[in-house]
Amino acid sequence: MIPFLTYPLALIALASLPALAAIYILRNRFRRRMVSSLVLWHFQVQSKAGGAKVHRLQLPLLFFLELLALALLVMAAAGPHWKLPQSARPLMIILDDSFSMRAVSDGVSAQGRAQAFLEKMYRQSPPPVTRLILAGTETHALGSPVKSWAQVAELLRQWRCPAPGAELDAAITLAAELGKQQANILVLTDHRPADDRITNPRLEWRAFGTRLDNFAIVNASRTALGDQDRCLIEVANFSDHARSVEVKVRAGTNALPGSSLTLAAQESQRLVFNLPANGQPLRVALPGDALTVDDQVELLPPVRRRVRVQVALADADLAALADRTLAATGLRAALSDNPELVIHETDTAAGSNAWSLRWVSAGATNAFTGPFVVDTSHPLAAGVALPGVIWAGASLTNAPGDVPAILAGNTPLFSAREDALGRRHLTLNFNPALSTLQNTPDWPILFWNLLSWRSAELPGLRESNVRLGAEVVVKTTGEPVTVTEPDGTVRSFPKAADELALETPQTGVYQVTMGALTNHFSVNALTAEKSDLTGCASGHWGAWGEAADQRLVETPATWVFGLLGLGLLVVHLFLLYAGKGGGR
Amino acid sequence: MDPALRTALRDGEQLGVRYALQIPQVAAGGWTGSRSGRRSGSSIDFQDYREYQPGDDLRFIDWGIYSRSDRLVVKLFREEVTPHLDLILDGSASMNLPGTAKAGAVAQLAALLATAAANAQCTQAVWLTGEGCQRLPNDTLPPSAWDKLELDSRRTPEQAYDILPPRLRRLGVRVLVSDLLWPGNPAATLRRLRDGAAALFVIQLLAREDVTPPEHGNIRVADSETGEESEIYIDSAVAKQYADNLAQLQQAWDDGCRQCGARLTTLIAEDLAASLPALQAVQLLTPA
Repeated sequence: MIPFLTYPLALIALASLPALAAIYILRNRFRRRMVSSLVLWHFQVQSKAGGAKVHRLQLPLLFFLELLALALLVMAAAGPHWKLPQSARPLMIILDDSFSMRAVSDGVSAQGRAQAFLEKMYRQSPPPVTRLILAGTETHALGSPVKSWAQVAELLRQWRCPAPGAELDAAITLAAELGKQQANILVLTDHRPADDRITNPRLEWRAFGTRLDNFAIVNASRTALGDQDRCLIEVANFSDHARSVEVKVRAGTNALPGSSLTLAAQESQRLVFNLPANGQPLRVALPGDALTVDDQVELLPPVRRRVRVQVALADADLAALADRTLAATGLRAALSDNPELVIHETDTAAGSNAWSLRWVSAGATNAFTGPFVVDTSHPLAAGVALPGVIWAGASLTNAPGDVPAILAGNTPLFSAREDALGRRHLTLNFNPALSTLQNTPDWPILFWNLLSWRSAELPGLRESNVRLGAEVVVKTTGEPVTVTEPDGTVRSFPKAADELALETPQTGVYQVTMGALTNHFSVNALTAEKSDLTGCASGHWGAWGEAADQRLVETPATWVFGLLGLGLLVVHLFLLYAGKGGGR
Repeated sequence: MDPALRTALRDGEQLGVRYALQIPQVAAGGWTGSRSGRRSGSSIDFQDYREYQPGDDLRFIDWGIYSRSDRLVVKLFREEVTPHLDLILDGSASMNLPGTAKAGAVAQLAALLATAAANAQCTQAVWLTGEGCQRLPNDTLPPSAWDKLELDSRRTPEQAYDILPPRLRRLGVRVLVSDLLWPGNPAATLRRLRDGAAALFVIQLLAREDVTPPEHGNIRVADSETGEESEIYIDSAVAKQYADNLAQLQQAWDDGCRQCGARLTTLIAEDLAASLPALQAVQLLTPA
């Protein structure tokens, strides 16, 4: 059994051992001395024949004592740890943090039953050390290892089961790592394991779920449709028989006509309706059942971003074409003051915030018929095919820093460049007089891509309704960001980067504030797998084997080596004292 | 012979001028000499009368008594003898331990005793143990004239005695100079030396290194005579054991001396001059 050393460099001190040996060899070598007769040393001669080793060992004994003491002290300085068997193992408890644990049966949720089991287990046979691991969509350990039930109960207050899923396998792996493959692992969940035969001798799986019927809203969306909002609500019947349910819809303070749905077993139906885009939140609710978190959703109005575009083209035909095309995208703002995009024919800067589109039409007499090289991964060229298109452009060369999105041979037709301030400078090499592009669907696609890209780069949220656990990306203005969660928790990000990804650990409406700009987004629990309680079960699978009673624990052994070394030094001193005549 | 030893002989000779060998009464025997013997002899000193017995020298009949009493009476005169010193030197290599003053001390002590004997009008014989006990050439002359005083034998005095014992004179004073560091029974050696002697003195001459064990540490001790080596870790326990062994050895020799009427004294080679009063204390020397 090789000990683990905390300070292995201390082993350099072992070099003192050969030094000690050298000192002894030099100091204790036998010096020859002539005597008158050995008759007076006769006792020594006799002991040599009979028990000479006793006397001769006096030297080696002291030497070996010193050698051993030195080695032990060096080992003590190295801080050794031994893996020693201990009778009881620590316990790693994995808590299923998904919201299905909140399903209530007979007034008690699966989470409550699991807590009661834990308390009972602690009362009967408390483990030496316990560590809690929360298994949601991500896994993480709760606090530090604790020893008493009071400490465990304190940590269990953080077990609120808001997650849309439970990564139990990842949690088991994390528990095994934290427990150094020696700890017992207890999984507390509401469903059976994937495989009923658990081969891990240190894993015990306990489920406290109950098979329940449940109506749930499994999908909900609210998207912009012109001047209206288009809403979609999908309701599922997770039971083994057909049932009816009343869907209540409220827009702001106004109650809308509800719907009564009759759903077969395991069937889902969608409600699709339009709402005027009045900025009111939409609330949809089902009657309360075993699991309430999936019985209601709140949908905020969709984010409608429009780009303020200034068309500064000198050519009237070009300007008219640009205006028509921009209007067709539906993404152009009504106002053009303080523009966010300037379309012009010169290569001049257009303000601190605006992107510029330089439209090169003069001298663009080369009519390209293809083949065109289209970078479909570029935001400008997404969905652009250019089949049979004639694109007339000037014979330009790619300017330094420009990233072409569309090329004809080595001639860039549409390219983009980003300057030091983060502004984009686009170049459209296009002469409509000699082209057919403006008469194809690719033309409005190009402008829609342009405005969509620009709007995506505007500060604020990109979407207002997300599923529980999804990541919400916020485009920041560089100012500090403050996020207020549905439970009132406020999180501040004083130094935000260009983008900020927010976690959504709970359902409800979040508020994001950046300077004067305030946005809201709603998080709803829309997870069909977790709303389906027909797969929930109770029972326990696997058991900690008898071999689990013996485990190896890293135990510091510095004191053992230190004490042995000091003990040997005491013996050494005693022998030295006795050898010199006992203090005569 | 080692010039250093010859120098030591001269030094001992000079040192011995101040001393005379103390002759015990029981040693008043020997060849006709200048000292009164304990028996009747042919000196001019009248001692006693006794009845004539056949075989008596007719010249010593006291004719005056015969004329007055008609009895044959002879006059007895005191015998005049010359006492003798047999000096037995341990010639083993341990007496010439490198790095010590032991060899010089042996020579110095031998010369001192010989000179003191001359001062006491004793004759002397100097025996050196080795491959048997051999007399030193010119040992009857002053010590500075002695020759072949070489302390390099690998045999102990006891072994040398077994090979060739010295021809020691009866009723002589015998002095053994040795470090006594050999295994065996001191009593046997002492009995052989004491047999027929007027007196036996045993002088244990040790180097300071022999008395004081080495410092703590690893020592490979080598026997100066046999070359045998032993690796020893010296600590306080071993040092104490060494001191105990030395004391035990000295006690064995002391006991042996007591049993046979000999006298034992121990001298430190490095402190020889300061140790001479010990020789007076055992009544071997007396100021001249």
